[in-house]
Amino acid sequence: MSEHVAEASTPISSTVMPHATSVVAWDIPSAIVAGERFRMKVGIKCSNECRLTNGHFGVYDHEGAQAATGTLPDERWPGTTGLYVAEVELAAPASEGLYTWSVKGLESDSGPHVESSISFGVRVVGNPEYLVRVETVDGVSQTPLGGARVVMHPYQAVADARGVAEVRVAKGAYRLFVSQTRYLTFCLPVEVTADMTARAELDLAPVPERN
Amino acid sequence: MAKKRDSQKDRKRQAAKGVSRRDFVKKGTAAGVGASAAVLSTSGTALAQVSPVTAITWHYEADVVIIGGGCTGLPAAIRARDLGASVIVVDQNFDLGGKMLHSGGWVSLGGGDPLQLRDIKGEGDREGFVTAPRQHTVAELTEDPDFLFRDHTDWSVMDTAAQAPYRYNERDLHRAYADNCYATREFLMANYVRFTRISGTHGNGGMSRARRATTFLMEGSTTDIKQGTISRRDAGVAGVSSSHFAPRVMGDGAKIASTGARTNGAALSRGLEFSAREKGVRFLLNRHMDEIIREQQFSGRVVGIRASYSPRLDPVTGAQLQSLWQNGNVDDRTETIFIRARKAIIIGAGGHGANPQFRSMFYPAWREPAFVSSGWALLGPRGQDASGIIAGMRIGANLAGMQQNLGYDSTFHFPGVLATRDPYTDMLPGHPTFSMRGSTGIALGSDSFQHVIVVNQVGKRFFNELLVTRRQGGAWFPAAPEKGQPKRGLDHVQLDWRNASVDNIRATYAEPNSIHAALAMNEGSKAPDYFSGPIWAIFDRAAVERDKWNIDPPFTSPTNGFFFSADTIEELAARIHADHEFQRIPLTYLAETVRRWNAYVDKGSDPEFGRGADAPMYRVEKPPFYAATLYPVWHDSYGGLRINGRTQVVDMQGEPIPGLYAGGEASGGGQQHGLGRALVHGYIAGTNAAAEATGTR
Repeated sequence: MSEHVAEASTPISSTVMPHATSVVAWDIPSAIVAGERFRMKVGIKCSNECRLTNGHFGVYDHEGAQAATGTLPDERWPGTTGLYVAEVELAAPASEGLYTWSVKGLESDSGPHVESSISFGVRVVGNPEYLVRVETVDGVSQTPLGGARVVMHPYQAVADARGVAEVRVAKGAYRLFVSQTRYLTFCLPVEVTADMTARAELDLAPVPERN
Repeated sequence: MAKKRDSQKDRKRQAAKGVSRRDFVKKGTAAGVGASAAVLSTSGTALAQVSPVTAITWHYEADVVIIGGGCTGLPAAIRARDLGASVIVVDQNFDLGGKMLHSGGWVSLGGGDPLQLRDIKGEGDREGFVTAPRQHTVAELTEDPDFLFRDHTDWSVMDTAAQAPYRYNERDLHRAYADNCYATREFLMANYVRFTRISGTHGNGGMSRARRATTFLMEGSTTDIKQGTISRRDAGVAGVSSSHFAPRVMGDGAKIASTGARTNGAALSRGLEFSAREKGVRFLLNRHMDEIIREQQFSGRVVGIRASYSPRLDPVTGAQLQSLWQNGNVDDRTETIFIRARKAIIIGAGGHGANPQFRSMFYPAWREPAFVSSGWALLGPRGQDASGIIAGMRIGANLAGMQQNLGYDSTFHFPGVLATRDPYTDMLPGHPTFSMRGSTGIALGSDSFQHVIVVNQVGKRFFNELLVTRRQGGAWFPAAPEKGQPKRGLDHVQLDWRNASVDNIRATYAEPNSIHAALAMNEGSKAPDYFSGPIWAIFDRAAVERDKWNIDPPFTSPTNGFFFSADTIEELAARIHADHEFQRIPLTYLAETVRRWNAYVDKGSDPEFGRGADAPMYRVEKPPFYAATLYPVWHDSYGGLRINGRTQVVDMQGEPIPGLYAGGEASGGGQQHGLGRALVHGYIAGTNAAAEATGTR
C-alpha cells in the first residue's frame, strides 16, 4: 500500500489501494516429452480492468527457478473485458513425472497492482514409442465420427474426417476413452506393448423421455 | 446486485400469494369473523373457513364447478357436460391444459382397453391415419381389468432404488381405475384425441403389459382439430420455435402412427379443450381458487368456491397473456368472485411441486425456494401451488399416499438443462410464456457433464458430475433386471415374493443418490431452513468448443441471472454472488475447487468423487470462464387428497365429503406417473358429479 499527498490549495490526503490481479494459464500440453520445449498461454487481469500493456510475469518451475518471463501485449484477449495474454515457450524437465509450476505477475513496474500467482501441472513423459490408431464410428450406421476426442491419459488426440485418431503413447495400461457430442462415451481398457489399432463404436445417448 | 431471497422474506412472499391481507381482512369482517380467528397457513390460505354460506352473494353458478382446466378438469368437464350438467371451469392460468399441454402426451391405461384391442387385431384408426405396424405381440397386449388391478397393487415389485411403487396404492381407487380404463380410452377417442400404436408402458403403469400410446395430429396446411391436422408452424420447429398451440415442439410419430404424425400432449390437450368449448363448457381463466365453501366447515355439502383474479403479464411488453381460443371464456376481472356449485365441485388443480412449504413435508431440503416445479414458466408462480389440496384440508379432507413422492425417480430430479430456472419445460420463442423462461437453457446429456465441474453455493464440488443428472429407471413394463426385477418381459410374475427378495434387491440396486448430495446442507446453509442453495456448472471456453454448445441467446440470457461469464474464476464467483437472486453467500471456495480439480486432471484421477474411471477429465483453464445454474425440478406430485373409487374426497372419518371430488395430482394414493391416472380420475369424477342431486343452497 502506498500513500500520496495531492498538491492542491487545500491539502487532501488520499490512499491509493493497489488493485488485485488474477492470473490464468492454459493450453499447457497434457503430455510433454522429457526435455522438449512446449508453449502455453498466460493471462493476467486487473480487478479494475487496468490496461496492463508491457506488464511482466514470470514462470517458475517446481524448484522455484524462473523458467521464462513474458510481457503482456497491447491488446486485450478477444472475448474478454480486460485479460492481457502472452504466449511463452518453456523447456520441460529432463525426467518423467508430474511437476507443479507457477506463474507470478504482475512483476516490478506494472503500477499499483498486487502480485498474484497460479500453479499448474506439467506432465513429463518418456518417449511415446507406440502408435495407437483409433477408428471411431457410429455404432449403428458405421459412419466415421470426425472430431471425436480420444484420450488415453495423459495422451490426447482428435479424430480426423475419416474418424481416425492416432495417439503416440508409452508402453503401459490405459483406459482408452472416445467422446463425441451427443454420443455415449466409449471406454476400453488397453495394454499397449506394441503399435495397435482399436475400433470404437459409439452409441447415441438416449434422449430422456418426458411426460 | 440482485435482490436476495431469504427464508423469512420468502415465507411472507408465499403467504401474500395465497390471499392478500386486504382481501382476507375484508372477507373476514364481512362474514363476521375476526381476523384473529383465522390462522394463515404457510401457503397463505386461511385454515378456518372465511366465507360462511349465509354471507355469500354468488356471482356465477353451475351444476358442476371444476377447479383446474388440465388433465383431470377437462375430461371431467366434458363428461359432466355429456351427461347434461352445466359446467364452469376455473383455472389460475391464462390458458387451458395445465401440464398436460406441455407433456409428451403418453397415456397409459390398459386392462383390455380399446387401443390394446385395436393393436391386437392389427387394425388402424377410424380416420386411416395410423398405418404403422403394431409395436407389441398379442401376448404383450392381452389382459383384463383384474390383471391390471393386480399389476397396480402388486406388493412385490421393487425398483432399482429399492422402492416399492405399487404396494401403497389405494386399493379401491385402483380397482375403479382398472374398471374405467376401457371407458376412458373410448371417451378420449370420441373427443378428438387420436392415439398412436401402443408402445411400452408409462412410469409405474404396471410391470406386465404394454399399455401406453401417445397422441398425435397429422401435419397439414392448416390446424384443424376436427380434421385431425396441424400446421407445421403450430407443431413447431425443433430448436427454433414453438407455438401458442403447442408450447413444446411436437415430435415425429412416423414409427408409431404414420409419416407426418406429430405427437405430444398438445394433441391431447387441445383436442379435449376444443371438445369442451364445443360442448358449452364455460371457462373463467386467470382465476385462482382460494377457498372451497362448505355448508359448515366440517359438515354438510360443498356449495361453491371463492376465486381471485390472477392475470399474467408479459414481463417484456406488459401485455396480458390470452388463451389460444376464447369461445366459452367468461372475461370477468373482478378481484374476488364466488361461484356456486349446484351439484358438485371437482378439484383438478394439480399438485404441490411449486409450494416449498408443502413439498418440504416430504423432504425438508425442498423448502429451498429457488427450485421450482416443472411448468413454472408455463403455469406461472401459482400453478402447482397445492391450493386444491389445502382447500380440501381446510374443510376436513384426509390425505393419502404422502410418502409416495419419494418413490418415483422424476418426482424431483435434475433435467440436465443449464442456465434456466425452469429446466423442465421446453417453450421456445413463439409461445407466450417463453419470456418467463428468458432462456431455453443448455440441454446436456449426462455424458456431457465430463466437460464441467458442478459446485454448490459455497463453490465446492459434491458428487461425480457424470452421475449428478443420472436417474435409474422405475419399475414398469417391460420388466428387466435393470429396472429391479429378476425376470424379463412376459416372464415377470405378479405377486412373487422373489421380486422383493433381498438377493434380488442386492443384485439390482443402482440408485446413484446424487440429487441428495446436491440438496445436502453445506457450509453456507444457515438456520432455520438450512437451504442448500443454488447449484452451478462451471466450465471454460474449451468445454464449449469441445462439445459444441451454443451458449448464445436464446439458449442463455445475459440478464436473467442464471448464466455468467468472466475472464477469471475469481471474477466469475463475484458475478454469481452479485447477480443471482438465490446466491445468498459468496462462493468462497470456487477458485480453490477449480485449482484442485485441475490438479486432479493432471493426475488423471479424482480422489474425492471418483472421476476418471468413467470418462476423460479436462482442465477448467481457458478463459472466458462460465457459470450456469444446474437446477433440480419438482415434477410429479404424489400425495394429496384421499379419494375413493368414485373419486369422492374422503374426510378424516373415512366418509366422503358430499359433493366434493378430486383427481390427478391434487389427489393421493396412486403412484402412476403421467396422464393416465388423471384422465381416468377426471372421467370418473365427471360421471359421478353429474349424477349428484342438486343442492338447495
